[in-house]
Amino acid sequence: MKVLVCAKQTPDSTVRVKVASDGRSIDAGQVTWAISPYDEYAVELALERKDADPQTIVAVVTVGPARARDALRQALAMGCDEAILVTGQGAEALEGLAVARAFAKVVEEAKPDLVLCGRQASDDDQGFVGPALAEVLGWPHVATVTKFSPAELPHETSGPAGTPGTGGVDVWDVWKEVEGGHEVWRASGPAVLTVQKSEKEPRYPSLPGIMKAKKKGIPERDVASLGIDASAPKLEVVKMEPPPARGGGKILRDGGASAAAELVRLLREEAKVL
Amino acid sequence: MKVWAIVERSATGLRRVSLELAAKAGQLGDAAVLEITGLERYSALPAVAALATKADAERPDLILVGATPMGRDLGARLAARLAWAYASEATDLSIDGSVLTAMRTMYAGKVRATVRAQLPAVVSVRPGAFTLPRGAAPAAKGGGEADRREEREPKIEEVPADASAERLAFLRFEPTAAASGRIPLGEARVVVSGGRGMKGPENWKMIEELADVLGAALGASRAVTDAGWRPNEEQVGQTGRTVSPDLYIALGISGAIQHLAGMTSSKVIVAVNKDPEADIFKVADYGVIADLFEFLPAFTREVKKAKEAS
Repeated sequence: MKVLVCAKQTPDSTVRVKVASDGRSIDAGQVTWAISPYDEYAVELALERKDADPQTIVAVVTVGPARARDALRQALAMGCDEAILVTGQGAEALEGLAVARAFAKVVEEAKPDLVLCGRQASDDDQGFVGPALAEVLGWPHVATVTKFSPAELPHETSGPAGTPGTGGVDVWDVWKEVEGGHEVWRASGPAVLTVQKSEKEPRYPSLPGIMKAKKKGIPERDVASLGIDASAPKLEVVKMEPPPARGGGKILRDGGASAAAELVRLLREEAKVL
Repeated sequence: MKVWAIVERSATGLRRVSLELAAKAGQLGDAAVLEITGLERYSALPAVAALATKADAERPDLILVGATPMGRDLGARLAARLAWAYASEATDLSIDGSVLTAMRTMYAGKVRATVRAQLPAVVSVRPGAFTLPRGAAPAAKGGGEADRREEREPKIEEVPADASAERLAFLRFEPTAAASGRIPLGEARVVVSGGRGMKGPENWKMIEELADVLGAALGASRAVTDAGWRPNEEQVGQTGRTVSPDLYIALGISGAIQHLAGMTSSKVIVAVNKDPEADIFKVADYGVIADLFEFLPAFTREVKKAKEAS
């Protein structure tokens, strides 16, 4: 089987981001870039399937500026087999629906059985492109996924996914995180899964993995050559600011029973939240 | 200006965020309050098919959904189907002519942004972003709840889901062992969160006792959910939930930047930690430098006393 992961390169989650002097973007000079955390989970979840079934091919694609190649290199070093970079003039500025159309073109060419995305990218935090990609493809999608596996079908009617008996259709069981637990959904045929978390923590690239990734070519597609409709509803950022400063709070240093009583008094009388 | 509010129901009635949306829709213009019916479990395709057909016929200018697991999913796919603008997790919004302006966070909560789009648009709205008009707050558990619910529910139009659009099959629900029937984290007005300083899952009894007294939801740091002490769904922060309750109590949480991003928009933050240098104190309105295992039982007792006295 083949899994395609759609990923985005975003500022490393462990570093602060600063608003740029234009007041409507972030200061890119201060940023180290990485695969968006939820996309990293998606890569890991795909690689966990490959661990279970080594025949699995895991490809990763991103739409973005030239620097996004580093994110793909990182995914290859983790163990992905192939990577595709969709870039070129305007690739970075595409609106969500146009990004979904660009991914859909790649999906149509690569013909994966499943497409995985992070549930949202940790830059715009929109959570739009995954469901929109499913919409453009006309596929179903399952959101906030934490696990998927070939469906356990009755023996006489089927074998493992993709074998005769399922009519050549891959059948997948997909775990969706919801309030209070997981729903298990069955997808017969291709689907888009937006990933909440992988089963294990995302793996670190191994040294051989890094060496192998260095040798792998990353084919580049010019976004203009995809022939997509780039017109899409626009969500324009008109202003960015840091969250309101906090701090300067009261600190109670004597942590005993008197502090407990004092804190309750403060929460009732001063903060009025009790 | 035609505004739709899509509402959701939990076991105990309409969700609070749904009431907030309904009230806001009424302030913005000609409002309709819609509920998808006929689905045992929410699923995107049958819900989107029904709403898109209705939207094509009736042409609303703005569709509001809650920024809940269902609302975020429904909102994104519906906006894609209609090819409308979409903004997720708005914390405020206004309309000027045909232009929507919304406030939302970006970069996992590290930046506050003002965004603008042309109507028509779909917007998912964070629970608590709009205050409820007086009298519309969900009733507390207890006698007469049914009557009060009757009173506070807006007039709801049912939209039957389009079952023919479904492409997935629901198999089963697997509850989390620790699931407690508490209020969902994203909607709670009080959140009590534990970190690695709690030393082990067996100590969560203490946190639960406090949460019970406060009627709070449980949260956790990523270290705690990664260690398997608590279910993933309780994680607050960058790869977990973003919360903005009236009161956030952080117990034994050091305050990694990813955690802070998920809770700094809370109204009042209380932090208890024995390390005076912990970063969590930088965002706390009230900090207590203490041994949790001494302080927490005393604090729970004091809260209980205060609640009983009022």
